[in-house]
Amino acid sequence: MLLLIAPAGIVLVLFQIVPIVFGANASFRDWQLFNPAQTWVGLKHYLYILGDSTFLTIVLPNTFLLTFLSVTLSLIGGLALAHYLHRNFAGQWLMQTIILLPQMIAPVIGAMMMRWVFNDQFGVVAAFLDWVGFGPISWLAQRWPSFFIVILTDVWIWTPWFALILLAGLRSLPREPFEAAQIDAAGAWRTFTHLTLPMLRPVIAVCVLIRSIDAFRTFDVVWILTGGGPARSTEVFSIYTYVETFVNLDFGRGSAAAIIGALIILVVAGAMYKVAGRVADVAR
Amino acid sequence: MAQVVLEEVNKEYGSVRAVVDVNLTIANEEFVVLVGPSGCGKSTTLRMVAGLEEITRGVIRIGERVVNRLPPKDRDIAMVFQNYALYQHMTAYDNLAFGLRNRKVPEADIKTEVMHAAAVLGIEQLLSRKPRELSGGQQQRVALGRCMVRHPQVFLFDEPLSNLDAKLRAQMRIELKRLRERVATTSIYVTHDQVEAMTLGDRVVVMLDGRIQQAATPLVIYNRPRNRFVAGFIGAPAMNFLSVELQNSDDRLHAVAENFRIRVPQDRVGELSRQRTRDVVLGVRPEHVLMGEPRPEHGTGFDANVEVTEQLGAELLVAVRVGGATLLASRIDAEATLVLHQPLRLSLDPRGLHFFDRKSGEAIR
Repeated sequence: MLLLIAPAGIVLVLFQIVPIVFGANASFRDWQLFNPAQTWVGLKHYLYILGDSTFLTIVLPNTFLLTFLSVTLSLIGGLALAHYLHRNFAGQWLMQTIILLPQMIAPVIGAMMMRWVFNDQFGVVAAFLDWVGFGPISWLAQRWPSFFIVILTDVWIWTPWFALILLAGLRSLPREPFEAAQIDAAGAWRTFTHLTLPMLRPVIAVCVLIRSIDAFRTFDVVWILTGGGPARSTEVFSIYTYVETFVNLDFGRGSAAAIIGALIILVVAGAMYKVAGRVADVAR
Repeated sequence: MAQVVLEEVNKEYGSVRAVVDVNLTIANEEFVVLVGPSGCGKSTTLRMVAGLEEITRGVIRIGERVVNRLPPKDRDIAMVFQNYALYQHMTAYDNLAFGLRNRKVPEADIKTEVMHAAAVLGIEQLLSRKPRELSGGQQQRVALGRCMVRHPQVFLFDEPLSNLDAKLRAQMRIELKRLRERVATTSIYVTHDQVEAMTLGDRVVVMLDGRIQQAATPLVIYNRPRNRFVAGFIGAPAMNFLSVELQNSDDRLHAVAENFRIRVPQDRVGELSRQRTRDVVLGVRPEHVLMGEPRPEHGTGFDANVEVTEQLGAELLVAVRVGGATLLASRIDAEATLVLHQPLRLSLDPRGLHFFDRKSGEAIR
């Protein structure tokens, strides 16, 4: 028996446990590329990060805001799209494929495209605004416009994912309660709020859980679009960690940041998991 | 208070004709049961009355109104579904109240209606529970209540008892009958169970392949089936069929098969003689196959080998082999001692003989 799970066990230990132990060990040591002495410093890095005003007032709020807004908006968009696709009409499958396109593009490419779209000299948005009569806006030169574009890009990428799963959920719902509601004179909106939403609750809960954990560690989109700038104002947790580790080459501090992030995800996901479980249970 | 009229109603899915030229008038407060095997178009017919399926051709009237183009909510109907179709996340009370709330009925009136329906159905204690906390029978009662609170002109039932186990089904059948007396409303009831059809319906409509085969009271359907399908579908155990040849000898008409020769009763000779063909199908219900010698003037006795016996306690089912077919006799004395594979003297009750055209299956009358 043990022998049978040994291959999986070895892979797990080599690629999960060992790196975590390595990282955790590094987070307690003074360890930079140019200072590889690895002196034990205890909680010094943790205290530094938890006292770092950039981390507390910009990075963490940005991370949570991005997670919350991206998940919420793509959930709403996904629901609307799924509802729209959950009907028979000519070209339905074509529509479905087109709507799925953003999911098929690598996030890095998607972010690149968005950066060009919002380029203040050559972008289509700039051209359009110019044509309408607005002056050029330097989207990526200010905090909130940059942040807006980050969220927009993330929502653009992830809405199809929500739509696809929610559509599958919609298709699996029994038909009869909806027919009963038709006879019971429930309008479209009331049917949606009183039947569709409650019946979809388990699917929605799982989607939100998965996506929230994922959104918390968003890196590529932000890195490509803003690099955390301007002046670190759109920096999120994963970028903070990346910069500490691979730009400043401070492995000790970077590891500490990574561990803090992991703990936050663990707590948040644990809480959400509980809520999701209860929601799914109630809906059944 | 309304009658329901279906005129030349058709439903087609592409080239498939699900319902063909259905003509049916259901009187005010009449309880009509549509029965037939799966795929016979009975549910589709019901769903067209409900407005859940479009009508390809024909007219459906509820009361004085043509309802072809009306959405379900405006037809003043209520429907009970096979799998109850309750709103799972709402309490039983909210399930009953939902339709009334959608129609902006004041909450106080809703409460009166819901409590009244709950009292009639005996589900007052269950109102605060959600459907998944209820048994199948209780869920079906909630579904009935959801229909009653609105006092619709027509009740539609789509196999409402099919998801219940046999015992509960028999119990709910009786409750449905009681309910019918308290809440007299025009009703259309779809089932594939001929017992439900016989016991519940003022009138039974037997369907096959989208067409009405016969629409009549249960007794007429049972005693004077219009064709071989109706004869075989209604009644349990099912009617026996035997291919026979009609032969004239000594001024009498006989039905003859291999090792089988019975006299045709005098009152049936006329209609059978008018037939051009001599090859017909003889139908006889198991309860009309009797043990022992017939009265001499009947001349319906024959011998057959006992194949199988089934002891039911109150009676014995006996399957015998005769004329190339298996014949079932149902009312044999449970105490009778029969020897397998030995000949047994049987006779047919002359009042229980049915004759069908071998090709068309139509009853010969």
